[in-house]
Amino acid sequence: MQTLPFDTVLIANRGEIAARIIKTLRKLGLRSAIVYHDADADTPAVSMADTAIAIDGCSPIAAYLDAHQIIASACRAKAGALHPGYGFLSESAEFARAVERAGIAFVGPSSESIELMGDKIRARRFVQRSGFPVAPSAVEEDDPETFPSRARALGLPLLVKPSAGGGGKGMRIVRNLDTLDDAIAHARREGLRYFDDGRLYVERYAENPRHIEVQVLGDSFGNLIHLFERECSVQRRFQKIIEETPSPALSPKLRKEVCEIAVGIARSANYRNAGTVEFIFDGREFYFLEMNTRVQVEHPVTEMVTGIDLVAEQLHIAAGRPLRLSQSDIVSKGHAIEARIYAEAPERDYVPTTGKILMLEYPQREGVRIDSGIVQGQQITTAFDPMLAKVVVHSSTRRDAALASERVMRELVLLGCETNIDFLARLFADETFLSGQIHTGYLDENPHVAAGQCASDLPAVLAAAALLTRPVRDSADAVPTLHAEIGKWRN
Amino acid sequence: MKHSFALDVENYELWLSPGQHGYRLHLDDEVFAPVSFSHELDGSGTLVIASDTIPVKFAIDGDRLYLHIRGRTYILRYRDQLRTLACLDDQASHLVARAPMPGVVIATKVSRGDVVSGGATLMLVESMKLEFVVRAPRGGVVERIHFGVGDSFERDSALVTFSEEGR
Amino acid sequence: MQRIVSRVDTKSQDFRLNVLHNRRLATELKERQRSARFDRPARDLGRLRQQNKLFVRDRIEALLDPHTPFLELSALAANKAYDGEVPCAAQIVGIGIVAGREVIVHADDASVKGGAWYPLSVKKIVRALDIAIENRLMVVHLCDCAGGFLPLQAEFFADRYHAGRILRNQSVLSKMGVPQVAIVMGHCTAGGAYVPALSDYNIIVQGTGAIFLGGPPVVKAATGEVVSAEELGGARMHTSVSGTSDYFATSEMHAIAIARDIVAQMKRPTKEAIPQSAPEPPAYDPSELYGIIPKDPRAQFDMREIIARLVDGSRFHEYQPRYGQSLVCGFARLHGYQIGVIANNGVLQNESVLKGAHFIQLCDNNRTPLLFLQNTTGFMVGREYEERGITKDGAKLIMAVSGAEVPKLTVICNGSHGAGTYAMAGRAFDPRFMFTWPHSQISAMGAEQAAGVLTHVKARQLARDGGRLSDQELAAIREPILEEYRERSSAYYATSELWDDGILDPRDTRNALSIALSASLNTPIEVPHYGIFRM
Repeated sequence: MQTLPFDTVLIANRGEIAARIIKTLRKLGLRSAIVYHDADADTPAVSMADTAIAIDGCSPIAAYLDAHQIIASACRAKAGALHPGYGFLSESAEFARAVERAGIAFVGPSSESIELMGDKIRARRFVQRSGFPVAPSAVEEDDPETFPSRARALGLPLLVKPSAGGGGKGMRIVRNLDTLDDAIAHARREGLRYFDDGRLYVERYAENPRHIEVQVLGDSFGNLIHLFERECSVQRRFQKIIEETPSPALSPKLRKEVCEIAVGIARSANYRNAGTVEFIFDGREFYFLEMNTRVQVEHPVTEMVTGIDLVAEQLHIAAGRPLRLSQSDIVSKGHAIEARIYAEAPERDYVPTTGKILMLEYPQREGVRIDSGIVQGQQITTAFDPMLAKVVVHSSTRRDAALASERVMRELVLLGCETNIDFLARLFADETFLSGQIHTGYLDENPHVAAGQCASDLPAVLAAAALLTRPVRDSADAVPTLHAEIGKWRN
Repeated sequence: MKHSFALDVENYELWLSPGQHGYRLHLDDEVFAPVSFSHELDGSGTLVIASDTIPVKFAIDGDRLYLHIRGRTYILRYRDQLRTLACLDDQASHLVARAPMPGVVIATKVSRGDVVSGGATLMLVESMKLEFVVRAPRGGVVERIHFGVGDSFERDSALVTFSEEGR
Repeated sequence: MQRIVSRVDTKSQDFRLNVLHNRRLATELKERQRSARFDRPARDLGRLRQQNKLFVRDRIEALLDPHTPFLELSALAANKAYDGEVPCAAQIVGIGIVAGREVIVHADDASVKGGAWYPLSVKKIVRALDIAIENRLMVVHLCDCAGGFLPLQAEFFADRYHAGRILRNQSVLSKMGVPQVAIVMGHCTAGGAYVPALSDYNIIVQGTGAIFLGGPPVVKAATGEVVSAEELGGARMHTSVSGTSDYFATSEMHAIAIARDIVAQMKRPTKEAIPQSAPEPPAYDPSELYGIIPKDPRAQFDMREIIARLVDGSRFHEYQPRYGQSLVCGFARLHGYQIGVIANNGVLQNESVLKGAHFIQLCDNNRTPLLFLQNTTGFMVGREYEERGITKDGAKLIMAVSGAEVPKLTVICNGSHGAGTYAMAGRAFDPRFMFTWPHSQISAMGAEQAAGVLTHVKARQLARDGGRLSDQELAAIREPILEEYRERSSAYYATSELWDDGILDPRDTRNALSIALSASLNTPIEVPHYGIFRM
C-alpha cells in the first residue's frame, strides 16, 4: 500500500467500532488516537489505542457529541485524519466541515453529501428527481394544511416517520386511520425529543417487507462501485438484529437490479467514500428508504464475503487516492451472517439490561469474527446503545452459516448481564429463519423465538445454583449425618 | 423452611441434604442424588447430577448467580428468606402511612374514598418547626384519615389507612 | 460381632396371624395419632385463619430443616383424659433439626381450647424441659396459649412439678448454657408471659403476638384503664419500648426465619465420644417385627428376634450367653453408635439379675449407652428363690440401673409388670427416653392375676356377710374389675398420663431410638460410681 499523507488517525467513537478501526490502523502501520469519556476508560478500544484523550460532558453521550473537544483532541494528537465510526457525529455535516476546516481529513463523504442524505425528505426528493423509485408518500412541509388528507389518500397501511433521524425512533405503523393523528403526534414528539426536529412525512407501508441495502464505495474522481447487498430484515422495534449477505430473497437478476440502482443513486449524488443505500423490497420492487453516509454496523458481512477491508478503503479514499478496486474485482464468496449481541431481555419486550461483565469467553473458530467492544469487569450501563458485540460467521451456505452461528451462541459465555445470546441461538435454529422466509415482521409473527423456553435442564441448573450458594451448602453441611440419613421421617 | 431461587419469573424452592456420596437435591417431590460440584479454574467446574457430568461456567455477584450450562445462560437470584419474608410483610404494613416522628397536621390533601397512587401526597405535617410531606407508601383507596388539621400525633401513629379495593 | 440367626418362620400360620394382628394395632395407632394431630372443630380452625395464624403443625414444619426427621414425643398425651377433648394435651413436643442443630420443639396448639394449659399440658411441657436439661438440647418455644384452664388449676398450679416447674426448668437451662428461643405467636398472659421472657432469645409477631402479665380485661378490672392488647403488650411496644422482646417479626413465617437464623448462631454441644462406626441397616426387615410380637400377650418370644430387627446389621455380641438366660445382655450398634442391650427373655431369676447388674457396670465403664427392652412379669417368687436371695439380687440390679451414668433408653415391648418394671429402667429410673409398643400392658400385676386377687378379696368380703357366691356371681364381679384393670394398664392409658414419651409403631423404633440416642450424647457422661451393692 502506498504511504498515506497522514500517520495518525483520531477515532471519534467508542466500543466495538473504535476497536475495529484500530485493528485496521495497526495493519496499515498508522498510529491511532482515541477520545473517550471516563465511563469508557476501561474498554478495549481505549487500551488498544496509541493515544487516548479524555473528554467530558454533562453525560457520556454528550462528550462524544462535543465537536469542539473532539477536534481539539485531534489537533493535540496531531491526527491527519478523523474517523467518525457510526452514530454520534458520523452524519453531522457541520462536524465534517469543522474537521476539514481544522485541516484534518474526514473519513467519510463530503459535507454536502451528508447534508443531502441526512435529511430524509430532501434525500427522497433527490432520489425521485434522479429517476429512482421511492414509496408513495406525503410530506407535511409541502403543505401542512392538506397533509392529513394527503396522508389518508395514500391508503393503508401507513408509516409515519420523523424527517430527521433514524434508528427507528418515532416511527409508527398506522393500520387504522383513526389512529393516524395519534401516530403523527407521537412521531413529532419523538422527533423533537431525539433530533430537535418536528418535521414529519408519511409513506405507504409495505406489509412484511424485506430490508435490503447495498454497500457502495466512491472516490473523489467519480469512480463508484458496489460491494453487493446485505439483507437486514430481522428487526425488532425497527432496529436490526441479524444482517446477512447475500440476501436469500434475491435472484441474480434482482441483485443486479438493486446494486445498479444503488450505484446510480450514489453517482447522482457525486458520492465519495463508503456509503449504504437502503431499500424496502416488497418482493417485486425496491423502494429507496435512505442512504447512510458512513460505515454501517453490519459492514463486516460484506468484508467476510468479499475479503475487502472497508475501513482501509475508507482511509485510502479519505487520503484523496483513487479507488484501488474496479467493479470486476468484487466477488462475493459464500454466505456471511452477523448477529448483534445486545444487553437486553427479548423475553421482556427487549428492555435494555445492565450489569457487570463477570465472565467473557468468545469461542475461536475458523470463519468466525467477533467484533467486541467489551471486556471482563466492564460495567454495562444504559448510558450508551445496548449493543455489546457482533458475531459474524462466514460459511459456504446460508444454512451452514446459521447453524455455525447457533453453535457460537451456545459456546459464547457472557455472564453478569442479561443478553439476547440465548434468543439468538433460538433464532438461528428456527426453521422459518433457516428457510429464508424472513421479513421485518418476522419476530412479531414468530413470538416463540423471543418468548424463550422453560429451562430444559432445570434440575441441573438448580443443582449448580444450590451447590454454588453458601447458605444452601452450609445448611446441608450443618445437618448431622444421622438425621440426614434418616431424612424426612415422622413417627 | 426451604431455600428459594428466582429464575426468570418463577421461584423455585429446594433443599440440599448431605448424602453418602456428595449431596442430595430435593425439588418438590423429586430427589436427585448424588449431586456435587468440583471447582476447576476460576468460574468453571463440573457438576455431577445423578449419572450426568456437566461442565458449568459460573459467576456470582451478591445474591445473583450466572450460570452457563449446556449452551444456555441462566440468571438466578438467591432469595434470602429473612429478607424476602420481611419485605413481603413490609408491603402488607404499607397499607398504613405512619408518622416518622411526632408532629401536628397542617393540611390533609386526600379524602376518604380517594384512589391514590404510591408516592402521592397525603398530608402536610409539622414537626420540630419543619414541614414535611407524608406520602402514600403504595397505591390504594383511602379508607381512613386518622387526624384532622391541628391534631397532634405521636411517632408511629397511623396517619392514613388504605384498603386494596379497586386495585 | 455375629449376625443373629433368626429362627422365625415367616411362612408359618402363627407368624401370619401375628402380622395381621399387629398391623391392625399399628394402623389403629397411626389413625389415633392422625386424629389427635389434625381433627379439630371447623370453628377452631376458622378462628385461626381469621387471626391470620398458621396451624401449629405447619409452623413446626416451617421451623424444621426440610428432609430431616422429627421425633414427636407423647403425641397421644391426654388421649384418655378430659373426655378426649384435649388432643395431644394441646402441646406439641418433639426433637427435630433446626439450622442443623438438634432442638426440642415445644409448641402450644391454639386449635385446642385456645392452647389453654391443662394439667397434662403442664406435665408434658415440664417433661419436654426435663428432656432438654438431661440431654442439653436447645429449645424452641412456639408460644400461643390462652393461659391455664382455671377450673382444674388445683391440678397444675402449686405443686413441685406443676406450672412453676416450667419457669424453673427454663431458668436452669439458661444457667446450664443451653439456649432457648421463643416465638410469641399469640397472647402470652400471666405465667405464660414468662416463657418468652425467660428464653435467651425471643421474637414477637406483629399483630398477633402479645406479652402481658394481665390482659386488657384484667387491667380494666384492676385499674379501670382501657387499653388494647397491641398497645399493652404488642410487638412494637415490646421490641422498642420495654425490651421484653428482642426481634420484631412482621409475620409468623418471618418470625420462624428469624428463629432459624438465631439457632444457626448457637454453638453446637460437643457430643460425648462413644465408639462409633458406619451405620448399617438391620439384616432382617424390621416389618417382620409384626410377625414376631405374639397376638397373645402371654405367649413367650425370643427377644433376640426383636434385637435382630433393631440393630445395625442384626449383629450382636452376646455376653454370658449360657448363664442367666432369662435376661439377654450384649453389645450391638445403633446407627453406628455402640450400645449395650438388656432384654427380658423370661422371668427374672437370681442368675439373670446378677448378669444384668454386672453387664450394666461393664457398659458404664466402657461409656456404652444402655437399651432396655422390657417384657417382664417381674421377679421369680417362692421359697426357693427367697432363700437364694432373689430380693437381695434384685436390689443389686436396681442399684446398678439407678447408678449407671451412661444414657439409658427403654422400650416396653410387651408386658411391664411388678418390680421388673423398675429393675428394667422404668420411668422412675430416669431413662433419657422411654417408649412403648401399642399392645403393651403396664401394671403392678398382670390383668388376669390382679383380677383374680381383686375378685378373691371381694368374694371374701361377701362371704363374711354369710353369702356364698355362685360361679356366675363371681364372673359378674370379675368382669368389670378385669375390664377397668385392662383399660388402665394399656399403653394408651400410660401414654395419656405421660408415663412414657410416646407409643411407637414397632417399625419406627429403630429411627426413634437413634434420634434419642444421638440427643442423649450431648451431655457428658460422668465417671461411674455406685451406692452399696448388697452382697
